[in-house]
Amino acid sequence: MGNSNQYWKGLEEIEGTLASPQGEFGEALPLDEVFSGSDTLSPNRRDFLKYFGFSVSAVALAACNKAPVKYAIPYVEKPENVTPGVPLYYATNCGVYGEGFPILAKVREGRPIKLDGNDQSILSKGGLSAIGQASILSLYDTHRLSNPVVKGAETENWADVDKAVTSALTSANDKGIKLVTRNVSSKLMQQAIDEFKGKYSNTEHIVFDPISYDGMLRANSSSFGKAVIPNYHFDKADVVVSFGADFLGTWVSPTRFSADYAAKRKVSSENSEMSRHYQIESLMSLTGTNADYRYPMSESKHGALLANLLRELGGAVSAPAMDLPGNSLKKIASDLKAARGKSIVISGSNDANVQTIVNAINSLLGNYGSTIDLNSSLNIAAGSDAGVDKLVADLKAGSAGAVVFVGVNPVYHHKDGAALAEGLKKIPTVISTSMVLDETTQYAGYVCPDNHFLESWDVFEPMAGYYTFSQPVISNVFNTRQAALSLRAWAGAELAGEQPAMDMAKALVEGMGANWNQCIHDGYYQSATASSEAPSFSGDVSAAVSALGKSADGPELVLYQKVGVLDGTWSLNPWCHELPDPVTKVSYDNYVTVAMGDAEEVFNLKNGDFVKVTTANGEIDKLPVLIQPGQARGTVGIALGYGRSLANMEDNDLVELGKNAYHLVGRKNGSASYVVGGVSLEKVGKGYEFAQTQTHWSIEGRDTVREATLAEYKANPKVRNEHKPHIVSLWDEYDYSKGHHWGMAIDLNACTGCGSCVVSCSIENNVPVVGRDEIRRRREMHWIRIDRYYSFNLTESAEINGTAHEKGEGLTKEKEINAYTKSGKYDHYENVSVMHVPVMCQHCDHAPCETVCPVLATTHSSEGLNQMTYNRCIGTKYCGNNCPYKVRRFNWFRYNLNSKFNYHFNSELGRMVLNPDVTVRSRGVMEKCSFCVQNIQMAKLQAKRENRTMKDGDVTTACQKACPTNAIVFGDRNDPNSRISKLFRDDRAYKMLEETDVQPSVVYMTQIRNKETETSANTSHS
Amino acid sequence: MYEANIRKPLVTGGKTISDVTNDICRPIENKPTPMWWLGFTISFLLLMVFVGTIGWTTWEGIGVWGVNKTVMWGWDITNFVFWVGIGHAGTLISAILLLFRQKWRMSINRSAEAMTIFAVICAAMFPLFHMGRVWLGYWPLPLPNAYGSLWVNFNSPLLWDVFAISTYFSVSLLFWYLGLIPDIATVRDRATTKARKFWYGFFAMGWNGSARNWHRYEVVALILAGVSTPLVLSVHTIVSMDFATSVIPGWHTTIFPPYFVAGAIFSGFGMVLTLLVIARSVLRLQDYITVEHLEAMTKVVMLTGSMVGLAYLTEFFIAFYSGVEYEQYAFRNRAFGPYWWAYWTMMSCNLLAPQVFWFKWARTTPWFIFIMSIIVNIGMWFERFVIIVTSLHRDYLPSSWVMYSATWVEVGIFLGTMGLFFTAFFLFSKFLPVVNMSEVKSILKSRE
Repeated sequence: MGNSNQYWKGLEEIEGTLASPQGEFGEALPLDEVFSGSDTLSPNRRDFLKYFGFSVSAVALAACNKAPVKYAIPYVEKPENVTPGVPLYYATNCGVYGEGFPILAKVREGRPIKLDGNDQSILSKGGLSAIGQASILSLYDTHRLSNPVVKGAETENWADVDKAVTSALTSANDKGIKLVTRNVSSKLMQQAIDEFKGKYSNTEHIVFDPISYDGMLRANSSSFGKAVIPNYHFDKADVVVSFGADFLGTWVSPTRFSADYAAKRKVSSENSEMSRHYQIESLMSLTGTNADYRYPMSESKHGALLANLLRELGGAVSAPAMDLPGNSLKKIASDLKAARGKSIVISGSNDANVQTIVNAINSLLGNYGSTIDLNSSLNIAAGSDAGVDKLVADLKAGSAGAVVFVGVNPVYHHKDGAALAEGLKKIPTVISTSMVLDETTQYAGYVCPDNHFLESWDVFEPMAGYYTFSQPVISNVFNTRQAALSLRAWAGAELAGEQPAMDMAKALVEGMGANWNQCIHDGYYQSATASSEAPSFSGDVSAAVSALGKSADGPELVLYQKVGVLDGTWSLNPWCHELPDPVTKVSYDNYVTVAMGDAEEVFNLKNGDFVKVTTANGEIDKLPVLIQPGQARGTVGIALGYGRSLANMEDNDLVELGKNAYHLVGRKNGSASYVVGGVSLEKVGKGYEFAQTQTHWSIEGRDTVREATLAEYKANPKVRNEHKPHIVSLWDEYDYSKGHHWGMAIDLNACTGCGSCVVSCSIENNVPVVGRDEIRRRREMHWIRIDRYYSFNLTESAEINGTAHEKGEGLTKEKEINAYTKSGKYDHYENVSVMHVPVMCQHCDHAPCETVCPVLATTHSSEGLNQMTYNRCIGTKYCGNNCPYKVRRFNWFRYNLNSKFNYHFNSELGRMVLNPDVTVRSRGVMEKCSFCVQNIQMAKLQAKRENRTMKDGDVTTACQKACPTNAIVFGDRNDPNSRISKLFRDDRAYKMLEETDVQPSVVYMTQIRNKETETSANTSHS
Repeated sequence: MYEANIRKPLVTGGKTISDVTNDICRPIENKPTPMWWLGFTISFLLLMVFVGTIGWTTWEGIGVWGVNKTVMWGWDITNFVFWVGIGHAGTLISAILLLFRQKWRMSINRSAEAMTIFAVICAAMFPLFHMGRVWLGYWPLPLPNAYGSLWVNFNSPLLWDVFAISTYFSVSLLFWYLGLIPDIATVRDRATTKARKFWYGFFAMGWNGSARNWHRYEVVALILAGVSTPLVLSVHTIVSMDFATSVIPGWHTTIFPPYFVAGAIFSGFGMVLTLLVIARSVLRLQDYITVEHLEAMTKVVMLTGSMVGLAYLTEFFIAFYSGVEYEQYAFRNRAFGPYWWAYWTMMSCNLLAPQVFWFKWARTTPWFIFIMSIIVNIGMWFERFVIIVTSLHRDYLPSSWVMYSATWVEVGIFLGTMGLFFTAFFLFSKFLPVVNMSEVKSILKSRE
């Protein structure tokens, strides 16, 4: 204590002569006498009461003490660099993408708790997709196998397993061994496979990619002699034309493509140029929502349209004439011509013929060597559909002695999965290295569980010449072994040393001539810059065009991937499903998407009806229908990656979630075809309620989201933000002249709506998973949400409800949209433009929530934060009602101790992922975005320890870190040179609901679309 | 005493002073009637529903209700405002009518005040149990504590509510009890058993009917009436500020205080009518609670009903006149949005239905008045539902627009408070004089 002065009440006290302290308890309890058992104790009435009182309260206190005692034990030998409370970051790889994706893993006291992109690597640039973020939970997955399983019996001893497997493989060698892996980007795995093949001479190695890029590989092989996936540089492309390729969501390498794409989309006073993005697609994809011009068109017509585009560009090709509405193909062609060598044309088709035409176009435009790089190719897929089909046929026939599945699940992912499963029963030896008892592994006699990627050493080559390194960030949670080591053990290699995988990796790195420590520290290594030499195109376009084939009659089915689920391999993860789909905002289900016009006129279906889907390849007995604005007529869409089932599922909403659609995948021109013609829908029920986080589609003409065309922006950088409301405030202003004043800026031009931030925030801030039913009741807990608004564009002028609307105008009012639909018009449902707006707590200076809390549980900090004191909250929910942005979330239940929410919050293992810096909220309290106040505090302490002032960029929020496009910027508004201060001053910056004078600390930057038309959506001002 | 011939007698049937005592004490001194038992049993069962549903809510969490991220108040606060509103008639009758020397109030003020107290108890259940952590429900009280500067937020209308409701409850209770003392003494004096003598004697607090007793009684009654009168206006004014001070379109309205007070009196008189039409026939008190009384109250109902109706129309006009698109949308949405049925129920029950009281027949036919009183109760419940739910469910950002519907738990809690209310009322009618005997005796015409 600072005060050293002592005051005494009297001389007796200072001299210690006071017989007994005066006051209430003048007489001490005769405890000594009681416990010594002396006879001198002769209780009188008063004493009796005293003893009685003491013993009763002692017993009561002892009886109350039921709280479990938990001991915190200090390290006996403190590991190097581990300080309790201080996180460590390790560069490693995210295994969601089989090819390796450089990330940083945040580790607290030995537990990895968060994954972020490695911002120094050109492959990540700091962002990490939603599913990549979520994959950390698979480490603490209760479904994981804790031991190897031999013939249904768990065993702890790997040596026994190896012995059994080796003898089984040896005897199977004569009949042939099939080794099935994903695309092998891991150098360790490649080495193990080579050794395995060396030992078992009769081994056939088959690469099975859950999502096939076979058509593209074959096209590149025939066009350029290289069966590779090229690298695309969207940051160098002025014009991007995508034919159904969802390159911001699911196609090839979406996270980095998003970063590159957004770099070309951000406009400012210094740079007012941006790329132009055309999207021609059948379903409404995430990429389509971001396009400047989007043309809905059936997938099967893309090939012919591409041929026409090639002809427009001057290519010699004969194809039946086709165009887009409004002769737009000519415009696309002229834009492309003007951006020769600075454009990209891509197609999501898996048809080699279509890809050959694409190659011809890009070649003609001179894009190879500038925006498209075949030399630094992406090592994401190498599977041949013909090879896989042969494997399945062989297995069905039982003509193999053994089959080894390494990280693949063809029973689920292959179109003939069911037949394959039957065939597996005939194979004497089936080995799987799956971490869980998945669909394929259930048929395996030997299950040798692989490590999680965070428990493994590895060296990947995701891009030719570019290596990324994995290091374990936790010791094995279960008794598992890295699959590459298992293969080597079976190949008879001696796995000496404590960490044989590390030794392998080290040898590889040293073989490359790189510095091991540096590589592991950085997480990546570039061996040599590949030549940018453009190969010459030698494909046969005429043959490709004539082989395009005709589309089947009737509506066509498009099988697509969802951003949060992808191919389904990693989708048994509650975060992936709690995240609403960026386009439909549906959580937890797959469904049949149908265009409005088709639903009304062709199928006679309503939203929520159940249908039976029948195609030539197979059928799905029951799926709900979702009417999707923006979808091309004549197509229906079903997402892949659903209907997973493990042998040991926890009882929660992930069980029997959606329907597996892989068996509907067809074959066209020798490759897997995700477009299936001649689909029919039969109504078999109705009334399904989707778990949607947003049910109102339109913005109702409100000014809360703002959008302008590039031309308008160039003419007036303040476009849409000209009018500032005249505000009179009754409140005193806060004084932020000292210290910090935190703020956030969100560039709507950069935000693609991918949802990475949502998952990142949930992980960082221990946001509970609530499940499908609670989302139906509109009680999702996400602290950040992405609002998605459609504007329904008129293709002809019309009079709606007595008001004249011009052609091209966007309808944003529900009443107008419905009235126009009622008149039998559906074009506006196809021609929608979309906006994504991330919304989190706006940390208002005049926060309506703060004034209404009766107990001051939510208050304003001196740094402009709107703080929530969970301990003080009594749960009146008034703050939530009074929030104009509706970002406050209430703990309706005790999510962490309620078996109805059987997700990671309710399992000992799952709780390991919780961030110890953030409280797990009890039921009955309000919560919301805190601007990651724990990170602010951490950065402040760091700066204080280093005896410096804080600098811009010291504090990052979870959403900001996860964002692949750097759409979110956070910082100190008091620092005039910080990025945030500049953005607050930017002409595009506006505050949502500014007229309510709540003075939010978040600014949005008006979305600019590179369009020529003057009219655009949301232009209304009053 | 001078008796004006042009005034109709307030008590009919040529009752004498001893008749009054006998009639009013009859239910207390005799075994309950089968009708009483029937009513009490139903009420008590409903009270058990209340205990069950509140118990489940407290055990499991507010999530068992239908409220969600956008509509965070639903039936709970609707019921709160509904019950608080009902209470107002009691205070109005006992305080304001006392000050205005309206003697017709004398035979109904007792039950109206009892209604006030029970309604406020019912009302208090909702702000209490709508809290996420009801076990910390005492935190909004400005209690000294060991946490230093931890204090309540005097800016919050919810805190004003705490003060308003607790003041209202204590003053009403005091007023009611004060009026009961002479009557309890009467029951004491007539008691035939020891237990009755003891308990009624205990609560009579030594009342001996002396002039000094009466003098103090009158003075305190007048003081309490003076204290209560502003409460009639203040309580619902403050309740309305829960909404009026917020930023939500449809809530953020300066008309709310007078409009809520008028609505409260409207609904309160509706409830008084419901109770008295039953009570006068079940307890055979037609001579004390006459058709004249009912008629007077129907006039109040018609007047206040028209006042709230005017408020509804004013709100609409102001929303249009303000030019604020959110405000305009909120009101369009009330009338023509997904909750249109609630709005039009409100309009027809509160604005249109009471207009029948322009007709004498409607004002003097007890069974018809009973039906009308139920309609008024329904209408006023919907008024609160419309204000709370339809304003919240579609506010500023369309992305958060939702629908809300109550679960069985919320319905159970509401029915349960009905049980609580009527259980209390039946017990009151069994154990306490439902008409103020001592005051009624002062307005008898015939005095033998």
